[in-house]
Amino acid sequence: MIRTNKVSKFFGGVKAVDNVSITFYDGKINGLIGPNGAGKTTLFNIINGFLKPDEGEVYLNDLRIDQLYPYQIAQLGIGRMFQDTRILGKMTVLENVMLAYKKQTGENPWKLFFLNNKVKKEEALIKEAALKWLKFVGLEDKINTYAENLSYGQQKLLTLARLLTAGSDILLLDEPTAGVDPGMIPIILKLLRNLVNEGKTIILIEHNMTVVLEICDWVYFMDEGKIVCWGLPSEVLADQKVKEAYLGLRMIIFW
Amino acid sequence: MNYFFHILIMIAIYLILTLSLNLLMGFTGLFSLAHAAFYAIGAYISTLLMVKMGFNFFLTLPLAILGAMILAVIIAIPSLRLKGDYFLLSTLAFQIIVFSILYNWISLTRGPYGIPGIPKPRIFGFEFKEIPQYLILAGSIALLISLIFKRIYFSPFGRVLKSIREDEIVANALGKNTTKFKISAFIISGGLAAIAGSLYASYVTYIDPTSFTLDESIFIISIIIIGGAGNFKGPLIGTIIMIFLPEILRFLRIPDTIAANMRQIIYGLLLIIFMRIRPQGILGEYKFE
Repeated sequence: MIRTNKVSKFFGGVKAVDNVSITFYDGKINGLIGPNGAGKTTLFNIINGFLKPDEGEVYLNDLRIDQLYPYQIAQLGIGRMFQDTRILGKMTVLENVMLAYKKQTGENPWKLFFLNNKVKKEEALIKEAALKWLKFVGLEDKINTYAENLSYGQQKLLTLARLLTAGSDILLLDEPTAGVDPGMIPIILKLLRNLVNEGKTIILIEHNMTVVLEICDWVYFMDEGKIVCWGLPSEVLADQKVKEAYLGLRMIIFW
Repeated sequence: MNYFFHILIMIAIYLILTLSLNLLMGFTGLFSLAHAAFYAIGAYISTLLMVKMGFNFFLTLPLAILGAMILAVIIAIPSLRLKGDYFLLSTLAFQIIVFSILYNWISLTRGPYGIPGIPKPRIFGFEFKEIPQYLILAGSIALLISLIFKRIYFSPFGRVLKSIREDEIVANALGKNTTKFKISAFIISGGLAAIAGSLYASYVTYIDPTSFTLDESIFIISIIIIGGAGNFKGPLIGTIIMIFLPEILRFLRIPDTIAANMRQIIYGLLLIIFMRIRPQGILGEYKFE
């Protein structure tokens, strides 16, 4: 469970996140929706430690995490998929995914040379796990290409495989289906549902309302840094404020 | 023939230097101007222990590595918290400090007079005295370091270093303590450079601080830029080209005074040309931007 308590973040005079108290429950797909610039990604950055909140606290269960470094938060089991794919371009697809595996003995240079056998055995396991997820997202025939040579949709799938190999318990997904081949979307959604059934927690930023309706258990609607309303997806999407924000004048001007 | 072997020995020594710097520049994406300083620390620790205390070369080698690693820790911990250009500046400061100490601490290093009479390596009564024998020693050590490099390249450790080069934020988001990894890379890189220093000192049997100037650091960086960074073949081809190049000038019968200047001009031109038209070097896997 991730809980924020009266979290605010200011950029200059702009309140990107404004006094947000929100709870993301375990074993659910929590949707976070709202127009561009609502502060959704900023909230993600606060949760996984890239930004320190100016006010308020963030808790993982009862542990306060907003003062930790991003890598510590990741080690606690909070994984992040970025909106812009952020693949490691000059590394192979396989390397991109194998990197994500947690607690690798061979990451310690001394153990690398003195516990060579252990490292090699572990490498085989890591490779197996990586290949399993690469196969799942359909990239198994691309494992030796540089990640930068993949199409945008494939890069997105690569980051999904990376996240799954990391094995985090809480997944922060920033538009996982954007730019992905439409045929792939139902498969991803089914996977997300399975992950939640296995006990993982998903927090999902999503612009595709069909996806939100189909998959989210609970939805928070965010606008201008505030949580405006929340509830079941059908309720939230029917809310007058949400309709205004998405369909109203402001969005037309924005477009 | 000995002349050719001499060039091969220099290639072996510089291969150690470029591979160790490649760990920083090519893997981790960190530019360091202090590589000649670690080279110097290796050379001076070995030399002083051999000349003043009569140590065996092979005993001084681990001590030289250790000395360089300790100094690497001292510089890495404050500087690696700095980002980008500021890290580069702090390595520049370190390079200048080391040079100044070697140049001015005359009671220990004899400063600009240098230290002559450095003994050749000796093991079980066998002395690596002649050039072909020394080539075997330098070649074996270079080979060993190439193997260490290869092991790191295909290891989880190397993978994390590369991810820092590609996108440090992602590495962080995947739970990697990137500061710690950068410090490790810096320490290993410094320790390996010290080996090259020890080898050089006992090969030429005379050292003075002018072999370890900022120019030397820049020269090692140029080898990587021209050869290519990240993998093994880039630094190898770069080292071969950059060590052979001045020898070609010698064959063209250009007088030494002109050749020395010509060399600098050619290095400069090569750098400009490569940065302009082939920023990944001849065989590199990574573009400098």
